[in-house]
Amino acid sequence: MNIKTKFILFLVSTFFLKGCTKIEFEGPSIDNLYGDFEIIVPLSITNTNPSFASNEQVGFHCEFNKPVQWKISILGLSTGALREITGFSNIIDSNVVIWSGSPSQVPFFSEEVCSIELTFENELDTIKENLNIASAKTYENGVWLEDFEDGLPTNALVYYNPDGGGMTFSVSNDDALLGSNYFKMGGRVNWDWALGNLDLPLNITNVSQNSDDLFINIGILSDLQDLHTGQFINILISEETNTPFNDNPNNNASDLFEPSMEVYKMKVPVDWDGWQLKSFRYSDFEPVTPNNQSINFSMNPSEIRAIRITCLACPSSSGNPVCPENFGKDVRTDIDHIIFTQNSSLLDQ
Amino acid sequence: MKRSLILILAFFGIFFSDIFLYAQMNDNIWFDGLSRSYFVRDAVDKSQTNDTLSARNISNGYNLLDLNTHVNPIKDIEIFAQLRIRNSFGSFFGSGTEINVRQLRAKGVINNKIRFSVGDLFLKQSKFTLFNYNEELSDYENDMLKAYRDIIHYENFYTENRWRLQGIQTDFSYEFDQYIRNLSFDFFVTRPSGSLQINESTYSSDLLLSGGSMVSEINKRIKLSANHINLFELASSGTQNISVRNPVNDMSILHHFSNEKYHIEQKLQTGFSRRYWLNSELGDGIPDSISNDIKGMYFEIDNKFVKKDSSLLLSLGYRYVDPNFRSSGAQTRRLDYAAGKINRIYPIYTNMSLIRQPLFDLVSDDQLYNQDISSTLMVFNPIYSNVLPYGDATPNRVGVYLKAKSTNQNKVFLSKINAAYFQEVIGQGTEEKRDFGLLKGSFKINFHRWLNWEKELSFSTSSESEFTSRGGKTVSSVDLFSHQMNVFVNAELINRFFIQTSYKLFTASGNEFLTQRDNYGNITYFTSTQIDQKDHMLSFGTLYKFRENVYANLRHSWWGSKFTDQPFLDYNYNRLILILSVKL
Repeated sequence: MNIKTKFILFLVSTFFLKGCTKIEFEGPSIDNLYGDFEIIVPLSITNTNPSFASNEQVGFHCEFNKPVQWKISILGLSTGALREITGFSNIIDSNVVIWSGSPSQVPFFSEEVCSIELTFENELDTIKENLNIASAKTYENGVWLEDFEDGLPTNALVYYNPDGGGMTFSVSNDDALLGSNYFKMGGRVNWDWALGNLDLPLNITNVSQNSDDLFINIGILSDLQDLHTGQFINILISEETNTPFNDNPNNNASDLFEPSMEVYKMKVPVDWDGWQLKSFRYSDFEPVTPNNQSINFSMNPSEIRAIRITCLACPSSSGNPVCPENFGKDVRTDIDHIIFTQNSSLLDQ
Repeated sequence: MKRSLILILAFFGIFFSDIFLYAQMNDNIWFDGLSRSYFVRDAVDKSQTNDTLSARNISNGYNLLDLNTHVNPIKDIEIFAQLRIRNSFGSFFGSGTEINVRQLRAKGVINNKIRFSVGDLFLKQSKFTLFNYNEELSDYENDMLKAYRDIIHYENFYTENRWRLQGIQTDFSYEFDQYIRNLSFDFFVTRPSGSLQINESTYSSDLLLSGGSMVSEINKRIKLSANHINLFELASSGTQNISVRNPVNDMSILHHFSNEKYHIEQKLQTGFSRRYWLNSELGDGIPDSISNDIKGMYFEIDNKFVKKDSSLLLSLGYRYVDPNFRSSGAQTRRLDYAAGKINRIYPIYTNMSLIRQPLFDLVSDDQLYNQDISSTLMVFNPIYSNVLPYGDATPNRVGVYLKAKSTNQNKVFLSKINAAYFQEVIGQGTEEKRDFGLLKGSFKINFHRWLNWEKELSFSTSSESEFTSRGGKTVSSVDLFSHQMNVFVNAELINRFFIQTSYKLFTASGNEFLTQRDNYGNITYFTSTQIDQKDHMLSFGTLYKFRENVYANLRHSWWGSKFTDQPFLDYNYNRLILILSVKL
């Protein structure tokens, strides 16, 4: 091989390797990590007069020069309702970032003017807009709903400790979460944990979702004043299919929640002031008797037959002083608007 | 009479059998090794370092003997064991004395054809498959620090750029009359690290390194070689379902020719690597899968010109290493800045208890160095080596290099130059690519040869500079310059007794982005860092050479660092050291 051939081969190899060079770069963009933040496309709102009752939605669009942690805050100027949407990206896409009219937590929005603020973590920029809600969203689109608007359902069973003081296990209409009525559940049983429970039969055999896609939503009202710190509710769901709901009519309670049955539980500490809407994925419920080998805990939403809401509180009397600081305080775990939703929680729909 | 005869026969029988046994021991067992006495006294210069918490001075040292026993039970087999006896100063009657087996190896030849070794092996292949590159700051270092370097290399088993591994190796060769002249093979299987307990119920897997080489001399001018190496974990030896695989293949063709005056070599080599993690034994019938799979290649052409009178050596080449080229055996560094190893000399300083950044420690502290092969790229400090932190196998580099070595006929003047220009193949964190420049040179004058003196008198100096720059946007631009200067004077006052003095100055200034990687080597973050520091070391001492490899060295060093606009505070220390080293 003469020197000329070698030189040509060398040049070909060089160009070949140069051709292999890729145009992208390794690792995260330094511009994104250390560059100054800029808004490239200002915030736009797809619908400034939405009618949420008609299932209209509001989309948001904005573009920046680098991915940032952003937050859209929607504040109802009359109700004080607040919805926050957050993300980390360099674009807020109106096809993805949408609002259907729900708050992040109660209170709910009504027909009102809302202020909208877009803010960014570690950046001073804030973008402000307004919109006017033409009609507020309704919250009745679920696979099963109990809102107590017609009083207690005919098959419902209520049990509470008859020796307790100020027991309030009844429908009331003075301070509902939605509509007019709610179920007042509280009182004072200083010597024991359980105060009482509400059992409701239900039939959702047509549900095809698995347990990951079924959400149990429930409004809970805690003490407005003088909070009982050891109070909580248990939500029990029974998939017992062979026993009638009220097999023993003498005990004021459903017979679908025995230890030998397929029953799941979610414990909810109640330690806030006012109403909150809590949502739980059904698959997050735990078996009540997991060590019972004779029960097949297969968790099938279409086999749900009953729900029990139990009011409990940490005892405080001198005979059982687990939480002596709560002695003499009333327990209040009122509930409203129990609704089963599919694929997402009620406020995310 | 008969009884006396029996006694005489018995006496001679016992006497001569003992002589025979003694002779057999001489033939079959022999010893060598090394002995070292080491004493240091370190002191903090409190007039310049605000540190009332540290001791004013600290002394320590040790005596050690490494006794190498070579046993040849039969002609073709040798058993080698290195036994270390180490006694720290201050210990008494056995307390603080350590005795351990430092090396153990059996080697031999089967049927005069196949060589084998079992135990501690020192392995090397090509510069891109298995090679233990020199540490930073060591290329053109002055001879005054050689005693430190010798200790670092000896204690960490750094021999001829080989990695010390434990396993089995074999090699054999064939000679041919036609087509090719000879063909040699070399194979090995080693275990760089065994299964370790990570927590109560988790064990890491065994890490194995296997490989093979083939070298063939086609004719007098052409030599072909090929290497394969694979670093892999045995998932079944631990409790983790994920195990690394890093096979690398390379080949080279060497063309060389000579005449009476010079020798010319041209070497073309290329190779391919792949690294991935295998998810296996997942249960429930889930098939095996791979993740973090990257493939890369390298290419190098190297030309050497050597004058046969050794007056000139010139090497010029071009190298391309892909950003995804990963070769654990060649890219593992001797210094891992993320290994959590702390300096032994005043690791915490000032009244704010700051962790001290190393410089003098890199030269003197053998415990900062690494002996384990790593499957991912180790953390490096761009101040000390930003151009080629992983040696020639540094990924994401393309460029040219030049090395030259020159001396005159009577070796009065010796000079060396190493220059290179590289660029990133793809950018890091930006599409703009870094440019790297490297310029190193050393010059030595042997006055005793020049003036025909019997006693040695020499002066040497070296300069090493690294430049890194990246243009583009201000936010991602890089401009880093580091420079190291060494000056050394060596004078033989009386026969074999030398006085020596040296000065080392290291400066670095500019900015860089430190790369952070996850457990699978993917870059996750760049930490912007500003650098402006100046390190110095002045040494003065004596050396007495009893003979080659037997010497006593006594010297004093003043060293420290000065930082500008940095989160570190300046410091100054000094050290008195005595080393007596005897190679048995």
